[in-house]
Amino acid sequence: MTLLFGRRMFREPLPPGTGDAPAGRSLWHDARARFVRNRAAVASLVVLLLVTLFALFGDFVAAWSNEEIDWSMLGSVAENGAPSLANGHWFGVDELGRDLFARTVQGTRISLMVGIVGALISVVVGTLYGATAGYFGGRLDGVMMRVVDVLMAIPYMFVLILFMVVFGRSILMLFIGIGLVSWLDMARIARGQTLNIKHREFVEAAVAIGVRPRRIILRHIVPNLLGVVIVYATLLVPSMIIYESFISFLGLGVQEPDTSWGALINDGASQMQYGTLWQLLFPLFFFVVTLFSLFFLGDGLRDALDPNDR
Amino acid sequence: MLSYLFKRLAVAVPTLLVLVIVSYVLMYAAPGGPFDTERALPPEVMANLDRKYGLDQPLVVQIWRYVASIVTDFDFGPSFRYQDQTVNEIIAQGFPVTLTYGAWSFLAAVLVGVSLGIAAAVHHNTLLDYFAVGVSIGAQVLPNFVMAPILTLVFTLWLGWLPGGGWQGGEWPYLVMPVIALSTSFMASIARITRSSMLEVLNASFIRTARAKGLPRRRVVFRHALKPALLPVVSYLGPAFVGMITGSVVIDFFFATGGIGQFFVNSALNRDYPVLMGVTILAGGLTVLFNLLVDLLYAWIDPRIRY
Repeated sequence: MTLLFGRRMFREPLPPGTGDAPAGRSLWHDARARFVRNRAAVASLVVLLLVTLFALFGDFVAAWSNEEIDWSMLGSVAENGAPSLANGHWFGVDELGRDLFARTVQGTRISLMVGIVGALISVVVGTLYGATAGYFGGRLDGVMMRVVDVLMAIPYMFVLILFMVVFGRSILMLFIGIGLVSWLDMARIARGQTLNIKHREFVEAAVAIGVRPRRIILRHIVPNLLGVVIVYATLLVPSMIIYESFISFLGLGVQEPDTSWGALINDGASQMQYGTLWQLLFPLFFFVVTLFSLFFLGDGLRDALDPNDR
Repeated sequence: MLSYLFKRLAVAVPTLLVLVIVSYVLMYAAPGGPFDTERALPPEVMANLDRKYGLDQPLVVQIWRYVASIVTDFDFGPSFRYQDQTVNEIIAQGFPVTLTYGAWSFLAAVLVGVSLGIAAAVHHNTLLDYFAVGVSIGAQVLPNFVMAPILTLVFTLWLGWLPGGGWQGGEWPYLVMPVIALSTSFMASIARITRSSMLEVLNASFIRTARAKGLPRRRVVFRHALKPALLPVVSYLGPAFVGMITGSVVIDFFFATGGIGQFFVNSALNRDYPVLMGVTILAGGLTVLFNLLVDLLYAWIDPRIRY
């Protein structure tokens, strides 16, 4: 401090805001600059925004509702049900004569929601669990991480399906079930990071002035985990979407008239022998494009937020 | 080594117990009994049925009996839906099928993935490398339930080369699509992991020394670099195995191969809890066993791991 003031003493007073020291470059500022330079990641972000807009506002654009059956199509779906601008079925109709555009909008909604909710649960539960285990260490850490080990060794998809069968298949149960397993990886990662930062000076300082452990974890540890947590959460969204689609593909997930990408892909796959390929290709397109973008976004965020990792 | 084995078993056994207890409690908590039918049965009949299957006992006793009969006789009890079949018979019928294409898929994923990864790393930044990276990124968004319809569309409906499903005792035309569909995404992950760890190892100083001694490139890659480069791959084998066991449900469902996955989905739709639990516990047991093997393999490859 004295040195800085000492040097300044010999200079003309500077107008405010034009210091000769380089402008402050925070971690987040740097990260944004690095992210914007990554074209694939920025393009993915744009694609994801478009898909989200499609899910949010597709309903207002759609000419048909997702439950409405177009009786004129019934029985002649293969001949007349193809995508067409004239009759308002832009993505065609499914085997029951329902508008595929409206159904894709709804499927996209549910799939995105599952991804986001699953990732959110994992961020909240996993981060707190991991930070607590890592911060306290010792026996508590041993027990908590052993629990995670045990849960991770279980083929959760089977348990998840069992869970869905027992408690009834609904979207809420799907969220709960996926939330129950999604936090395990995050807990491990958060714990590892916590072990790294808990011996840093700012944590020691906080301990020295008598801050309670609870407050240290929430105010000092967790904010410093955020970079890694965000990157990992982005990469979790696609795996949550894949879990849900997997279950719905088997017909054990969302129930009619609700739908999701997995259920739509299964519908399309079971009808493709009749030549109604649009039923498979539209949901598949949304699924693949979204997952691709999420992976690239996660990659871009990792490069931006975690420079050590390159 | 032995104490390490025991340490791992100390995790494995509770894992299985947790799995059994959780699934039994779930089943116990399920609304509606297993014998509920459209027409209500007389209460005396219900009581007799409950007694026959031991469902009149307290929960703890039921779980104890269930675990005991699995441990001593490897008996998962009777199926609720198929009165003439036990869960064991159903598993015995479906498991060989799943094991056959599962083993092929695992082999394919590891062999192709590792070769692709090595080739990409050795020819870093060439066309081959870009191809391998492209394939492994692309395959990431093609999980088994996406691959299966695409393969069927191309090879069955358009080209007419392969049958769209069935098993026929595992003749190879019936094996091709299940194996490709199940292994692709894992192959991609293995290729990616092998490539990046191989690149790292090839930059290590002991590799430079080996090259400086004048050893041929091939020998350096396969004798010096391969073993350390494979360590991350070995640790990925556990999760890959879980993924494949899970994926087999989709394969059995979509290709109607008659493996355990098909029974699993059917019993999920029919609420046939003993079959569901039997398959879940079998999958859990296999996973635990496999993870144990992977841990031992890891410890054997990497002598730095002290047990």
